[in-house]
Amino acid sequence: MTDAGDQNRAARRTARRRSRLPTVLGLAGMTIVGALLVTAVFAPWLAPYDPKERVARPFLFPSAEHPLGTNDVGHDLLSEIIFGSRVSLLVGLVAATVALLIGTTVGVVAGYYPRRLGSTLMRGVDVILILPFLPLLIVLAAYLGRSLLNTILVIGLLIWAEPARIIRSQVLSLRSREYVLAARSMGAPDRWTILRHIVPRTALLATGSFVRAVSGAILLEAALSFLGLGDPIQKSWGSTLYWAQTRGAFLTPAWKWWVLPPGLLIMLASLGFALIAFSLEERINPRL
Amino acid sequence: MTRRIDLRRVVQYGVVVVVAVTLNFLLPRLMPGNPLALIAGVDVGMLTPDQRAEIVARVGLDAPLWQQYLRYWGDIFTGDFGFSFRSSRPIVDMIWERLPWTLLITGLSLAVSAVVGVLLGALSAWRRGTKGDLSLLSGMISVESLPSFWLGMVLISLFAVQWGLLPSFGAVTPASDLEGWAHLWDIISHAILPVTALSIVGTPGVYMTMRYSMLETLGEDYIRTARAKGAGERRVLFGHVARNTIAPVITVLAIRLGFAFGGTVIIETVFSYPGLGRLVFEAVAGRDYPVMQAAFLVFTGAVLVANLTADLLYPLIDPRSRTS
Repeated sequence: MTDAGDQNRAARRTARRRSRLPTVLGLAGMTIVGALLVTAVFAPWLAPYDPKERVARPFLFPSAEHPLGTNDVGHDLLSEIIFGSRVSLLVGLVAATVALLIGTTVGVVAGYYPRRLGSTLMRGVDVILILPFLPLLIVLAAYLGRSLLNTILVIGLLIWAEPARIIRSQVLSLRSREYVLAARSMGAPDRWTILRHIVPRTALLATGSFVRAVSGAILLEAALSFLGLGDPIQKSWGSTLYWAQTRGAFLTPAWKWWVLPPGLLIMLASLGFALIAFSLEERINPRL
Repeated sequence: MTRRIDLRRVVQYGVVVVVAVTLNFLLPRLMPGNPLALIAGVDVGMLTPDQRAEIVARVGLDAPLWQQYLRYWGDIFTGDFGFSFRSSRPIVDMIWERLPWTLLITGLSLAVSAVVGVLLGALSAWRRGTKGDLSLLSGMISVESLPSFWLGMVLISLFAVQWGLLPSFGAVTPASDLEGWAHLWDIISHAILPVTALSIVGTPGVYMTMRYSMLETLGEDYIRTARAKGAGERRVLFGHVARNTIAPVITVLAIRLGFAFGGTVIIETVFSYPGLGRLVFEAVAGRDYPVMQAAFLVFTGAVLVANLTADLLYPLIDPRSRTS
């Protein structure tokens, strides 16, 4: 009797913990993202110096005036990474928006017209998913040249395939629901049915895909900037690390203030969005 | 049925090759400005019109686009990738030189992340919902957000610089005449850090696939049947769950191999490791476009081989897919 009671209680405890984790992680993600957004918006007030101004001797160790020291040309590193949040979030959000627009359009069309048009589209999506992702990203970025807009476009144009697939499978199941069939049998034009009945019901799933895409795009922006393919005028976390690498900062004690902070911030930013995405996905399709 | 699916796959891979080659062909020709600098690698501004015309004729840029396109295909089929702008060496030679190093570190790291990811994923699914499962899961989500290049830099700072345990760059000690075991150890010690970085970054993907795949298997009726007829936990785990979980995971692993290959561009750059990825970086930094293009085609080939392997392996592991 007590044994069964214990087991029951244990099972209930597990169930409760299982349902609470996505909420906890989601809140953690939202806190991280919120803090970074505030930093990005108020960067000019938060940063002690202008990150593009030579304010001290190069390669300074951390001090009261320069908490993270200075880089190879005498820019204040703390100010640099505070302003870096702007590039990271901007590229992440805009590239994910581009990806979501393309992905939703392709996904909805392919799902609503599953026969010839849809299967052709999805075969195209498969081709994009097979191509070696990172090398293609680098080749495109190298040809297009280094600017913020190009970074956004290259990333956005390469990451829409996954959202397209997710949204298509949802639309496939939506199009045979009664209310959609009813609308169509009453002679509603396709465009109306899609906009009125299909698209709104993909919103939650699309939000999940969007947030997941932001998380990925932030990492990709950092990688491109690290390879020296980012906008040379903008200071991003990736470009701070590019210079740390080029100037060999990771071979000196300077790695603790020049290499660690920007990398941790990239991880935090990407993680913040990944956690939100995880909590949304768990809500839609619990797999815990 | 099986045969038809195979055919469709083959067509798909063919399309991928055509897309990759066409992208390679069109990109330099579509870019704004003079394509001559991108294709022939000359400082166009410095040339007299006569010299320029001579180069255009030699490279074939005056021919109609479709003729250039056919010629490009011909070159690829004969394994002629042209010459590097920078070193003027045949690109094929450069690729053969670099390929073994990349195969070495991607192969090793894939093996590590496969073993660790599968074991932890299985453990997590088996203990679903417990504290251990949830902290493993949260940990893996965090590792997924690690920028690989930064991880590499931190590993170098710690293990090579701070503690002086391992070398910080290259694949062998330069200008050393080590032989036998000493040479082997030299190669291994140079590979440890890049392989560690690649393995850490590669593990979460395997872990997630394994965990979800196994959770699905655990929910199947035959597992309940096995339990109901009194099979022990160990028997259920190894006899029923593991065997039915492993097939999709192997497919994912084979496909990951192709992607891990591409990921070396970043890790090899950090470690100055003389593989194919580093070659791409050098080509990009030096505007050596033909090298960049050739390497992109090799990466595409690698991804396709990995996918093909997965297709061929699947019916061997999962007999169900042979009949359906």
